[in-house]
This record gives sequence, structure tokens and C-alpha cells, in this order.
Amino acid sequence: MVRVAFTSGFARRYTGGVREFEVEAKNLRGVLKAMDALFPGLGEHLEEETTVAINGEYHETGYFQVVPPDAEVFFIPRIEGG
Amino acid sequence: MNDSTIVTDSVKRFKWVGTRPIRPDGVPKVTGRALYGADLKLPGMLYGKILRSPHAHARIRSIDTSAAEKLPGVKAVMTAADLPSQKFDYIGPERVAVNFWHVTRNILAREKALYEGHAIAAVAAISASIAEDAAALIKVDYEVLPHVIDVDDAMAPDAPLLFEDMITRGIEPAPTKPSNISKRLDFAIGDVDAGFKQADVVIEKDFKTAAVHQAYIEPHACVAKYEADGQCEIWSSSQGHFQMRALTAQILGARLGDLRVTPAEIGGGFGGKTVTYLEPVAAILSKKSGLPVRLQMTREDVFRASGPTSGSSMWVKIGVKKDGTIVAAEGIFRFQAGAFPGSPVMNGCLCAFAPYDIPNQRATGFDVVSNRPKAAAYRAPGSPISAFAVESVLDMCAKAIGMDPLALRHKNACRIGTPTIAGPKHAHAGYIETVEALMNHPAYKVKLGPNQGRGVASGYWFNGGGESSATLQVNADGTVLVATGSPDIGGSRASMAIMAAETLGVDYNTVRAIVADTASVGYTHVTGGSRVTFATGTAVVNGAKTVVKELCKRAALIWGVDEEGVVWDDGYAKPAGSNVGDFKPLSLKELAAKAAATGGPITASAGVNAGGQAPGFASQFCDVEVDPETGRVTILRFVAAQDVGRAIHPAYVEGQIQGGVVQGIGWALNEEYIYNSKGLLDNPGFLDYRCPVASDLPMIDAVMVEVPNPTHPYGAKGVGEVGICPPMAAIANAIAAATGKRMTELPISPPRLLAALSA
Repeated sequence: MVRVAFTSGFARRYTGGVREFEVEAKNLRGVLKAMDALFPGLGEHLEEETTVAINGEYHETGYFQVVPPDAEVFFIPRIEGG
Repeated sequence: MNDSTIVTDSVKRFKWVGTRPIRPDGVPKVTGRALYGADLKLPGMLYGKILRSPHAHARIRSIDTSAAEKLPGVKAVMTAADLPSQKFDYIGPERVAVNFWHVTRNILAREKALYEGHAIAAVAAISASIAEDAAALIKVDYEVLPHVIDVDDAMAPDAPLLFEDMITRGIEPAPTKPSNISKRLDFAIGDVDAGFKQADVVIEKDFKTAAVHQAYIEPHACVAKYEADGQCEIWSSSQGHFQMRALTAQILGARLGDLRVTPAEIGGGFGGKTVTYLEPVAAILSKKSGLPVRLQMTREDVFRASGPTSGSSMWVKIGVKKDGTIVAAEGIFRFQAGAFPGSPVMNGCLCAFAPYDIPNQRATGFDVVSNRPKAAAYRAPGSPISAFAVESVLDMCAKAIGMDPLALRHKNACRIGTPTIAGPKHAHAGYIETVEALMNHPAYKVKLGPNQGRGVASGYWFNGGGESSATLQVNADGTVLVATGSPDIGGSRASMAIMAAETLGVDYNTVRAIVADTASVGYTHVTGGSRVTFATGTAVVNGAKTVVKELCKRAALIWGVDEEGVVWDDGYAKPAGSNVGDFKPLSLKELAAKAAATGGPITASAGVNAGGQAPGFASQFCDVEVDPETGRVTILRFVAAQDVGRAIHPAYVEGQIQGGVVQGIGWALNEEYIYNSKGLLDNPGFLDYRCPVASDLPMIDAVMVEVPNPTHPYGAKGVGEVGICPPMAAIANAIAAATGKRMTELPISPPRLLAALSA
């Protein structure tokens, strides 16, 4: 299982305030699909609006990123550039 | 040159990585032959001029360009009406979201002029003087409006509004009234209120920082040539020609494939050349005139109309136990965004407490518009601002409990697994090692004299990864070309050549690295975020590995053996074992000479979306002397320790550390935008906007701490930004030690310090 977490602001907007989830996934595509199944449309928001930290390592939110078993996947907002 | 390198691992040394070869761009630059954005001249080229707002805030009732159009020599005139409308939405590449509804209005004003210097209209003519005369003939009917400059004033309920329909994002339920607050951000971990109850000492303080400019030497400049078939070529000085292509295409409504952008040499950027001001305007003027058009800013244009970093107003509160344990920290960070939303306040919130293991943290950020040029990135955008407040309060905490300020930081230093305020845990080490480097530095023990003081501070920056490309070509004589899409701001051509030489096992001097245009190499994000050595370096190493594989294949063909029977060792193809056969090793040069016979040109391209970048940590101390009669601060000594992962080219790394410190010294002591009562900038030039010069500075002692990044082939971490985070607080803390006065507003200029000393 993979632990998925959001900042409070993101959770407020998209997941009814719930900040943590557990999903089955081997890569980030799997995480996005699992979250989209729970909240239709959320996958696209995550893809377009976030940066992701997998076990603390920062990555762009790309499908190919490997998610190890029992990993923590944390989505944080993209920086605003104007 | 400086030999203060502290290595924390025992990994093998390299042949080229870690050496200091001559920079490949050195000769053209010192001989004045390097071509910058304003140097290009094409046959028939026109000279552009932009008319700018003389008002801080005004409604544009009408723009009459007819007189300008009739002036002999004028070939094109344009306004925002020549650019397509943009949807109101925050979208964008990498970790940055951009709202093109705002971007197009910053390039050319529409309903309103929102700051002095805001571009209103543009002309192109056969000479610069005719263009200037034509711009002066454009009649703009303004309704001058009340303005607001200061961030606290802009947040006041009765402040003049820049956008009458701006409702603050990030608050639920959403406010019913518009304001200048574009966005509110909230981050928290733990129980902050309970944390403060555990504290023996709680200190809180308000702070303000001035907006400061990146102060690059070269003003923005570009040349655009739009052909009748819709193909457009642009030559520009920027931190990312792919970024300029993307932004220009979106603003023009053009296809990426119809634009080709060639990077000029860049005379500094520091984040300020990641946005576009001129390229779309030059392109439209060229399209309308049918001729190439050059646009360039004056120094005054740069100050009035290009992005500085945010000024700020902040409040920070920290609670510590008597033994030095930090139990809670809280901050409110209000950042100027300039005339359009998008300050780096989120970074300010996320970086503020990042070097420390603090179980209870809360950060609240406000992104606030006011009648100033739109803020742009500046070296670790946002982080130095919040670090000034946080590191100042930490210094006060250390003093209150009688603890050495480095010991306080050491006791609370983050480690792998320490939670951050955004949620993710730190995945990389490197901070505590910078603190220890200072604790062990001999100068930290040196006694100081009267009116002298020592200050300490630390800083954090994420560093970047993301998309980068590289192409390698092995020439017939064994030389190697490395082409990347990363404009070279901090020595990347040298570091790319070093990493390629190391991977290929060849002499660095046989490798030539260039920056290729958008049609000649794959997509590459901007040179910014301290990402190039990590991300583009990874692409170069991957490309070099592909070349090595191909060279082994060619050797196998020559020897008549299986590919698996060949290994690459120190620049030679060799039999993998005695069972393969007895063959004389073949060098890259020998294999290159046989390229045609063995399959044709040897070339490889690599593209990456690099993740797992390690953050940057810095700790610094400085010694200052304060003249009690004038308020002048002299920097006596500055020691800057930084975790650099692995220094690919140590001289460049030292230069990055020293450059960041010098810019931080200017931010701390002198640099500020001075606006008059009409909201007009009174100091748009280097005479009155006071940057540090050589005579203001001691030699900056750069201490490179090497804690290699396991996710990079050679352990590299970004080094370009974090060095600017600590200096403002380190200097303020040193002044407090020297004078007993806590300065909470930047710059700590002589008049401001003298007033405090006299109070």
C-alpha cells in the first residue's frame, strides 16, 4: 500500500478535507488513477497543479515515477509564477 | 581560488569531476567578442521603442497612435489590441503556474496602467531616434487613479484596488469583497499552540524587507524576424530560450513549431530573465513591418518595468526550551507580488523553518498586488525573505537562553526523516554538516574589537530537477560536441564538458559544450532553480553512456566479437576478458576515425525528467564593524559554508557561493526601491540604487561541504541559490551583537541604522 497525502488547502478544495489515503500503486500513474477513481477529475488536477514528493524526494508529477512499496506520496502545490 | 572543501564521503576521486579547467566562454568574454542580446544586427533591421506609463495607476481611456504611424521612418505601431485575448487560468510548465491573462497585460497594458513604466504601446522605425520620436507622438488618455505601493497599505480595507474583481483565493468561504490580496496560503504541522506552551522562552517580532532587483548587468534585449510564411525567429538573452518560445507562442497564439529561439550570451539573470517582456512585442512589430526588429530596455526600463523580487512584511514567533530545543515556530509572511499576482510567498512559507526539526510549525502567506512592477524570481525566490525574519528571531532566542547561535542550530538541525511544514520528510542530509563546518572554522573563535559583532544564519532551498535534453556528437578526429538547451549562466558549459569527459574517459580539452537553439536540441527547462548541473548534467551523462555503448558496439564489429565481449575503460574499448581474444584497446579517437566504416556518425541524444534533486543548505557567519557616527556597516569577514553535493567545477561553485553572499550583502545594507508620493520610482539607476562594489567587500570565504547526492551520477546538488538566503539575517545579527540594536527592516542603510543608534 502507498500512503497518499495532501496539504490542507488542496484537501479542502478536492477531497472534502481528507488529507490522507491509502492506495495500491507501483508508479505515479497508478496513484493518479487510484485517486481519480475516488474523486473523479482529481487525477487531472493533481497532474496539472502539483509537485510530488515520494518518500521526501521531489519530482515533477510524471506517470513514470516509481513508487516503492509503503511509500509516502505527498502532493504539494506548484509555485505560482504570475 | 580557495581550498576550503570539506568532503564527507569516501567515494573515489574522479579524473575530471572536481577539477578547475579554464572556462570555455572565457576568451570571447574577456576579449569583448561574446554576443549578447543587443549585439545582433540583421539586414534591414528596425529599432523598436516601447511607450511606458508615467503614472503608477491609471485607467487607459484611449490610445491614439495615428500621429506616430504618420511619422516618416516608422514601419509599425502596436498596442495590446494586436495581441489575442488570454483565458483567465493558472497553468504552466514545471513547478510554476502562470496566468496568461495577467502575463499579456504585463507585456502591454489593456484596461489600466498598473505601475510606472508599464508598457502601453510600441513602435518600430528605421532608427532608434525616429522610434523614440514616434513613441512620444502616441497620445494616451489616462484617468489617474489613487495608487498603493507598500504591502501593508495594499492589504488595508480602504486601499485602492488594482483589480476591482479580485477575490482572495485560499480562504473558505471566499470573501465577498474584492481586495489586493490575491491569495492566502496556510501550512502547518503538529500543534503549534500546545508547542508554545512547552517553551521557556517565546520571542516574536515584526520585520520588513525592501523589494530588490536582480541587478543583472545586461538589460533585456531581443531581435525578432517574422517571415511571411508564419515562421518566426527570435534571438534573445534569457535564462531559457525554450521558455521564451513557450511564453511567446502562447501570447501570440502561435504554434511552438513556428518559432525558433536562439539564445544569446546572457549578462546575468538571477531569476529575472525567466519571464518575457519584449519577445512577443518584437515579433508582432516584425510581423506588421515585414522586417526584423530589435527591442532592448534601458537601465531605467529594467528598474521600472522588469521584475524585482518581492518586498515583504512579516511576523515570526519562535518558542525554545532552556536547553535550546525549539518547540514551536510560527510566521505570517506578506509578500508584494507587484502589479499582478504571483509572488514567491509559498516558497517563503515552505523554506522558513526547513533547516530545523521543529515538531510544531505554522506558516501563513499572503500574495498581495500593488502598483509596482510584477515581481520575478530572484535567487531562491522567497526563501531569503523569510529567512531574514526566522534567523533573526532564532538569534534572539539563542541570546535569551545564553546559547551559542551555532550550537542552537546544531541542536535543532534537520536530518533525513525530519518532517517539513509542507508534509514531506527530508530525504537528504547536508544541513548539520554546514553548521559543523562553521563551528570548526578557525575564524569563528577570533575575538572582536569595539563596535564589532559576529552574526550567524542559515538557509534552505529546494533546488530543481525537471526536463532537460542533451545531444552528443563524436567528430571524426575524436573531439566531442555536447549540445544542451540550458543557457550558461553559472558555468554550465564547463561542467557539462567535465561530466561528459568523465563518463567517456577522454580529455576535457577534447570536449566542446555549446548551448543549442530550440530547433537543434530537445526541450529543456529554464536555467533556474539550481537545476542545470543536476538535470541537464544527468541528460549529458545519459547521452555519454549511450555513446559509450555505441563505441563498444563499433569495437566489437572491428574485432569480430560479440558486443558483450567489449567493455569501456578509461576512454578505451577493451576485451571484457581473456576469453574474448587478445586485442589492442581502441581509443575513442581511433573508433571515431572508423565511424563511417562501422556504421556512420556516432551520436546520441538523451532527454530526462530528472527528479530526486537534493536541496541546498547553507550556514554563514560574518563579522561587522559599525561606525557609531555615520551608521555605516563594514563587513570585516564573511564565511559561507554550503552543502554542494559534489563540486563538478569547484571554482564555479565558489563563485556561486560568493555571488549569492555579495547580493545578500547588498540586500541587507543598501538596496531598495525608493518611491515618491506619486508612486514613481526615484532611483532607477545604479548610481542611486546602491549595489555592493568590490571596495565594500572582504574576500568571501566559501567553504564547500560535499555531501554527495545519490540520485545524481556524480553526486551533484544545485549550488546557485541557497547562498543568498542567510546573509541578511547574519548581518542583522552581527549588527545586533555590535550595537545592541535589533534591526528589523531592510535595508539597514546608514541613515536607518544611525536613527536607531540615536533613538
